Amino acid sequence: MNENEAVVHFRVIRFVYEAGLKLRMKTIPIASACVLYHRFFRENKLDSYDPYLIAATCLYLGAKTEEEQHVNIRDVVNVTYRTLNRDKPALEMGTTFQQYRETIVNCELFLLRSLQFKSVVYHPHKFLLHYLKYLEDWFDPFTWKSVPISRTCWALLRDSYHSPLALRYKPQHIAIAVIYMSLLCHGVEVPSNRVSDSTWWKVFKEDITLNEIKDIINEIVYTYDMETALQT
Amino acid sequence: MESGVISGASAGYPVVVHPVPRRWQNGIQHLTKMMNLKKLKRRLSLTFKGNRGLNTSLSDLAEQMTIEDSNGLTKDRNSSADLIQEPHSRIHIQIGDEEDVVPDELPVNTEEKRDYISPVRMRNRRRFSEEVTKRLSLPADIRLPGQFLAKQSLTPEGQLSRRSRRKSLSEIGFGKIESYTKLDKLGEGTYATVFKGKSRLTDNLVALKEIRLEHEEGAPCTAIREVSLLRELKHANIVTLHDIVHTEKSLTLVFEYLEKDLKQYMDDCGNIMNMTNVKIFLYQLLRGLAYCHKRQVLHRDLKPQNLLINERGELKLADFGLARAKSIPTKTYSNEVVTLWYRPPDVLLGSTEYGTPIDMWGVGCIFYEMACGRPLFPGSTVEDELHLIFKTLGTPDDVIYPGLSQNEEYLMYNIPQYSAEPLINIAPRLDGDGLDLLSQLLQYQAKMRTSAAEGTKHAFFNSMGPSVHRLPDTVSIFTIPGIALHRDPGMRSSSLNTSGRIRRQSMLF
Repeated sequence: MNENEAVVHFRVIRFVYEAGLKLRMKTIPIASACVLYHRFFRENKLDSYDPYLIAATCLYLGAKTEEEQHVNIRDVVNVTYRTLNRDKPALEMGTTFQQYRETIVNCELFLLRSLQFKSVVYHPHKFLLHYLKYLEDWFDPFTWKSVPISRTCWALLRDSYHSPLALRYKPQHIAIAVIYMSLLCHGVEVPSNRVSDSTWWKVFKEDITLNEIKDIINEIVYTYDMETALQT
Repeated sequence: MESGVISGASAGYPVVVHPVPRRWQNGIQHLTKMMNLKKLKRRLSLTFKGNRGLNTSLSDLAEQMTIEDSNGLTKDRNSSADLIQEPHSRIHIQIGDEEDVVPDELPVNTEEKRDYISPVRMRNRRRFSEEVTKRLSLPADIRLPGQFLAKQSLTPEGQLSRRSRRKSLSEIGFGKIESYTKLDKLGEGTYATVFKGKSRLTDNLVALKEIRLEHEEGAPCTAIREVSLLRELKHANIVTLHDIVHTEKSLTLVFEYLEKDLKQYMDDCGNIMNMTNVKIFLYQLLRGLAYCHKRQVLHRDLKPQNLLINERGELKLADFGLARAKSIPTKTYSNEVVTLWYRPPDVLLGSTEYGTPIDMWGVGCIFYEMACGRPLFPGSTVEDELHLIFKTLGTPDDVIYPGLSQNEEYLMYNIPQYSAEPLINIAPRLDGDGLDLLSQLLQYQAKMRTSAAEGTKHAFFNSMGPSVHRLPDTVSIFTIPGIALHRDPGMRSSSLNTSGRIRRQSMLF
């Protein structure tokens, strides 16, 4: 993936999050939408498709596979249209709306075919939750309360979906790397980590290596880099 | 625990002082340079806001978004805003064209070789081998055209690119509706019709589940779920999805064909089954379910109509349309009532805590039905169903079923205090082990129910020998010598006559 494409994907994922939150979708369905989006563009060239159409469809499909039952196609069309066209008046019921609706319905089937009907996504969230629960017992309560480790983890994990990270690493590994990065950001160390027989991450998942953790963190850092570059 | 170390850590958070490799140091420098804590927090503000924003109204959220926008991050979104209007035609062309839909082999461009994303190259290789094995479930006895085989062996190193592989699969006839002949109709729902069919490729019988696509909301949720789940489940006791055919008006799922479902089987043998067969079927049911549960897939609609059986006696779980559904409907789209007979009391009483135990109650009910020839709790309404359950197993107190006395639905039904009937009275055909297994499945408290994996290890199955536990996932238990169906006492001689009959409910959503 070259630099420009990465930037485009970054922007589109911002759009996915914005529209997803407006649609009142929960974390997991939005994350699924992001993964479906990245999966699609792993297989297809960016210049052949409109990323925003694919993104809108991914949102709709993500809501379906994760059973976000209140999301209907009318809302998806309206919200995505409003998000993309801020200065235009809201879409009225009419032929344009019907065309959008049909485009998304058709694109959904196309997307399913392109993904070879593999629309189930396994996320790091539940692993992250479990690992943090364990760590909470291991830390002393004062440190745990005064340092927002969990919140940072959660935020990092959310932001990690801006890059296709989730396609390349196991969910458990991403969860561990996110915790590692959060501890690093806050300058906190897992108690007695240095004197114990195995490191804390090896306890959670045996097949992870420090190098892999670093690779994942590097990639997350790179995502933030890209955001900085976009801002200036 | 060494409390000294821990309190030391809390005093002043010790800074990490591991020796760090150079490449890694760059990362940290990045991190510290551009992301000191304050900055990081600000940058993550969107996500934090999202956390808090669960209760805020839509307009509040939109406002937050626009603030975020003024940072300039999404400034040029408007320039691409019109893009969404363009691709109408593109998509239509793509859908019509069989070949173009398939993506080519991923181009590995130079950018990907940068070291921080080095695993990319690995990933390609892994995905390739996965592709080969996971592809479509090609039946073993497929009669491939000679020219196709010749072509495949001609390619260098025996490898085909994704595109040409898909192309050749489509040349054999996969993904094409012409490859299947429709025979009798087996059942119908509002948006799925099931036909018996025949594959022109293999001459094998198949079941064609045709999902109509004329709905406003696009492909039905249940279909998407069923397909995506079945693509990942490969097991001897789970129905195999052979192919998916997408035409303009419909999506057809091609399944392997099994002669009958358990309901029909029980009807055909006059509801008196040989106890050995009961054991064989129950074991296969638990085995298939253990495989699903290990992958965190719940079936949630277990009933005899959803358990398909072939002539050999292989039992397979089917109809995963409701699998993983958060809410279990009480009526189908065609307004047909979904049977309550196999639903656990906690779900009947409105519990929304779903886990693997919700399938286990149904297993108990099915076990009883096979052994005793009649449904255990044939209730017609939720109230009726609860009455039947409590009458047989006894109305539980707060010890057996914590929180029951506070459950509003329970109080509403005003159920009298029944005392439990011994299981031996209602299931006289079961031996001690069978009764023990049954009682472990029919537990009021979800977490007390035995799991599918534990169930397969129960003493009830000891007579099947130890080798059944060592079978690979995709191997049928009938490969083990000594395991075979016995003649059922009530079986009519011409059992096959009924095979074409419409399956009640099973295929209806």
